[in-house]
Amino acid sequence: MAKRVVILGGGIGGTTVANRIRKALEGEVATGQVQLALIDREGIHAYQPGYLMVVFDKMRPEEVRREEARLLHRSIQLIKGEVEKIDSPANKILLKGGTEVAYDILVVASGSVIHPELIPGFIEGAHSFYDLENAQKLRTALHGFTGGKIVVSVAGMPYKCPVAPLEVTFLLDDYLRTQGIRDKTEIHYTYPIPKVFGIDTVAQPMQRLMSERGIQIHVPFNVDKIDPAGKTIKGVEGDVLPYDLLIAIPPHRGADFVGASGLGDKGNWIPTDRYLLRAEGKQNIFVLGDATNIPISKAGSTADYEAETVTQNVAALARGEAPTSRYEGRVYCWILTGLAQATYIKFDYLHPPHPPTPSFAHYWNKVIYNRTYWDLTARALF
Amino acid sequence: MTGSDGPPTTPTAPPTRMVVDARGSWCPGPLMELVRVIKEEPVGTEFELLSSDEGSRKDIPIWLNKAGHQLVELRPDSGFDRFIVRKTHE
Repeated sequence: MAKRVVILGGGIGGTTVANRIRKALEGEVATGQVQLALIDREGIHAYQPGYLMVVFDKMRPEEVRREEARLLHRSIQLIKGEVEKIDSPANKILLKGGTEVAYDILVVASGSVIHPELIPGFIEGAHSFYDLENAQKLRTALHGFTGGKIVVSVAGMPYKCPVAPLEVTFLLDDYLRTQGIRDKTEIHYTYPIPKVFGIDTVAQPMQRLMSERGIQIHVPFNVDKIDPAGKTIKGVEGDVLPYDLLIAIPPHRGADFVGASGLGDKGNWIPTDRYLLRAEGKQNIFVLGDATNIPISKAGSTADYEAETVTQNVAALARGEAPTSRYEGRVYCWILTGLAQATYIKFDYLHPPHPPTPSFAHYWNKVIYNRTYWDLTARALF
Repeated sequence: MTGSDGPPTTPTAPPTRMVVDARGSWCPGPLMELVRVIKEEPVGTEFELLSSDEGSRKDIPIWLNKAGHQLVELRPDSGFDRFIVRKTHE
């Protein structure tokens, strides 16, 4: 009887790991010994790092979405459906509507979900760029902006792409200069801890850049509520900042079905072995990307590197071997520091990042990656 | 223990302790992990935060002082530090 490997989620992690598992088990899949299926709610794949590019007219909306079926190898079954629950003792998934999908090995790549409603006033009072619709709204708002106070604020943790608040701040600064209204605009940056980023090797150079560009810093600032009528944002520390345009990062949580399945912590993140990427206490469930509780970047790069390990471990288990491949915490993320310059952070569990001086070359590498993502990462052709 | 002449007391349960292994957490960083879990857990919870980021020795006490939570203990270990933190208010 064929072994059935099921992947939940058609984002960066789910799509690339499905295609990589297919390659790693090419013979078994071709002879029918292994069957592969991917479950996705919409069947549309979004390149989420592109949303910020859409805000600043660096990518068009249609460039950040593709049909999932066009990205998956033809031997991978695409099931469109919304997961209600994983019944892990019975090795099956229940979809809304009642369909059941059985598995022998499960890969959870269900990502994170934004919850702006958790902050009072967020939906009415703040712009964000964490989905395509809101990214387009923010782009429109910027086109109509003629000067005033802009506040960039992290309103909840954890959040996807930890460097994104830095990036949107630097891009704003550069954009306003090109529009000739930087001198009519104050940019305020808030962050929940007493510096502009989590560790010194990144925070110090980023803070220097902000100071050079006249960006005002408010730390620590943990968002309490937003007053859309009065156009203010209040921190639990007591500070109140007025704004004309607010760009905020919404709180994130894991997928609801993770909680309903009894597999998650309080935020619906799945406790996961940080090396084997296996769900704690589950022999045949692997997890990658935002869905894990591992305390590193929730970012596409993380999912991409983790996919290497999950692929090897799924292939080993499918062949009746012990999974031994280890994820060592590798991540590589660009940080856009302007409309045509960038730096990057590269690190693993043992080695912290040291971002180089921002340059056009690093920016150009990011642009190339944006264009080659669909083949390089999603289809895993190389 | 109470003194023999003191009023009888009901033994209280030890605080719940949660281990937060943030070793290798360079992005977003151990302090961001601590801020996250402190928001989620009830008052009285103790957190055992493991950090390999040297900056944590400075940042975490500063933030705890501003946020009004308690640093119970800072214990250097092999290649990392162990912070015992108690949530004291919502």
